[in-house]
Amino acid sequence: MARYEADVVIVGGGITAALVAEKLTELRPDLSVIVVEAGRRLFDVANRTLYRRRYLDYGENHWPGDFIEDQGGRGVISRTMAVGGSALHWGGVCNRFSVEDTRLRSMYGLAVDWPVAWDDLERHYVEAERRIGVSGEPGPFPEDQRSEPYPMPPMTMSWNLVQLEAWAEQSGIPFWTTPQAKNTVDGYGGRSVCRRCNTCEICPTGARYSPDYTFRQLLDANRIELHDGTLVRRLVPADDSDRIAVARAVREDGTDDDVEYRARTFVVASGYCWSSHLLLLSASSRFPNGLANSSDHVGRYMTGHLAYQTTIDLDLRLYPGMNEQHSLISRQFFRCATDAPYVRHDLRIWENRGGRGPQLRDDEGRVLLGDDLIADWRTRTTRGTARVRGYYDVHPHAESRLTLDDGSTNRWGDPMPVIEHRVDEATEARAAATREHFETLFARLARANDGRVGRVSGLSYQDHPAGGCRMGDDPATSVVDSYGRTHDHENLFVVGAPTLPTGGTTNGTLTFVALALRSVPAIAGA
Amino acid sequence: MQRRTLLQVLAGALVAPWRGLRVWAQGTPELTAPQLAALDALAEVVLPSALGPAGRSAAVRRFAGWVLNYREGAERGHGYGSSALRRPTGPSPALRYPPQFAALDAAAVSAGAASFAALDAAGRRAVVERALNEPERVTRLPGSPTGENLVADFLGFYANSPDGWDLAYDAQIGADRCRSLDGSDQRPAPFGGR
Repeated sequence: MARYEADVVIVGGGITAALVAEKLTELRPDLSVIVVEAGRRLFDVANRTLYRRRYLDYGENHWPGDFIEDQGGRGVISRTMAVGGSALHWGGVCNRFSVEDTRLRSMYGLAVDWPVAWDDLERHYVEAERRIGVSGEPGPFPEDQRSEPYPMPPMTMSWNLVQLEAWAEQSGIPFWTTPQAKNTVDGYGGRSVCRRCNTCEICPTGARYSPDYTFRQLLDANRIELHDGTLVRRLVPADDSDRIAVARAVREDGTDDDVEYRARTFVVASGYCWSSHLLLLSASSRFPNGLANSSDHVGRYMTGHLAYQTTIDLDLRLYPGMNEQHSLISRQFFRCATDAPYVRHDLRIWENRGGRGPQLRDDEGRVLLGDDLIADWRTRTTRGTARVRGYYDVHPHAESRLTLDDGSTNRWGDPMPVIEHRVDEATEARAAATREHFETLFARLARANDGRVGRVSGLSYQDHPAGGCRMGDDPATSVVDSYGRTHDHENLFVVGAPTLPTGGTTNGTLTFVALALRSVPAIAGA
Repeated sequence: MQRRTLLQVLAGALVAPWRGLRVWAQGTPELTAPQLAALDALAEVVLPSALGPAGRSAAVRRFAGWVLNYREGAERGHGYGSSALRRPTGPSPALRYPPQFAALDAAAVSAGAASFAALDAAGRRAVVERALNEPERVTRLPGSPTGENLVADFLGFYANSPDGWDLAYDAQIGADRCRSLDGSDQRPAPFGGR
């Protein structure tokens, strides 16, 4: 058996782990820190142009080997398991939540309030934006006031977005550019400026932030140890207290089958799925419901958000492909009057090539070849298509759960997770009104430009999943406090996505990171 | 040009960035010189005239390069947040092309020509239309080659490429090229018959 000892062991190697490790080693350079990640490290930056090309030409995995075959589950469970986590594939969108997301109970009588003051969270948004490197511009609403400007100016809007913004604002809704973890300044964080390669999920220039950059910097400076390919299977409490004493792991490659980590503090940074999974998997005779689970809340209140989306055919000359990953955003609907029917959402607009492509046959079914094909195609290029989507706020039911599936095990015999999302009664009750709101909104946007709304579709799963170890002040109704410290084990922290009580109305990554950074002083002093 | 020389030129022109990974291409079919000649003849019929001979030739080379560098058994992307792994890539679609090339030639012989490439343009168009209607009626252009229909694969490969879109929009959009942010707020420059 291999044995390691450190002041802090971080379980998981995604974006929250990377930035917690970075901040922790700045605050306490005297601490020894080991990051343990089940997947492998994919640090071959030089090959990313190649991987991108294979992805574009053949649909091959642009992060080869970024998964573990038998480490999956049922439900919305990302298969990415590698150093960098899901953020390897990240589009880089860095929207903030709003104060309403943290005050649902007191403002609207819905769900729960977060145990974090908005001003406090806002300061950590600033820090997260600085560490990640976010380019953006402030919106016009006073409610979205920022205490510091974005670290970098916003991404230049493409011709298409300029046209789309002019159209959309005719509907009376202000739009601006979506903040992104992409360099608009050369050299920020040691990375190059964006060259709008249109494949942010595999950025060949390094302009889009990826946690592997942080890990490489930490390793180069000897500030952490990174044990990749090492799956933590159990956390084990001390015999004489509720403190966690050991993390037991295995090497994915079969060498050193058993690995043991001893530490003063353990941080579970394994994302919305594998954090709850590990705590449940660590059940023992002393803790039959798993660790940190005296409240029976581990794995409950799994959350996220749903969406409505459509395409709108517009009388605009657009050129699909200029920068399809960049979008407009409006935060107008982040807030909702307390005496109005409750619906809160973001609103994004992208260029889209839907319905604008080549066709093999004309309306009569005749084959189109050569110049005929181009002439027919050009009849569809005189107008443009916008893709419009709003993530809307839904609240989790207590039975929105991650559980262990004894019928599905990995090679080590550990049951794999099942996630079944379920919304609460209030969310269900307003479902029809929410759909009607979006249909009305899409029609309003279309009217501003002789537009035609396409099929309106709802998302069939909850995006940007979170929860399972929700934070709260009351140990009877939550798993961790506002700093991610578990109520049951003073030296065990859970950070990032799992701690969210509710999933907000927009992309979650920046919020996961901000909350995790807020935890670091507590981790450092634990 | 000898077949081997032609393939070396193709390989040099198209797969230089992959030289270190050419093992991927081993076991994948190579288009023969007669097949490349048939593609040249096909290109004259199905690709837009604005491309000119050089543009058509480039389109044929890109298609041949795609065939040459196809890799069976490669991991496929599972995407951000996706719960499922996708099956690895299957056998090369080009394995299904030889009988389809043969069918083009056979149709040309029936029309009195020595081969598809030797048939006049009107005759080739008739053969191509038949190939898109029989035995299965093809209704849409595939986003990438599938092997089901050689003509649709070749035409779809061009039309769905950034070059195809640039021609249709008469604009230098360059969708999968890495481009500076500078000037991206301006209308793309005209395609200019590039």
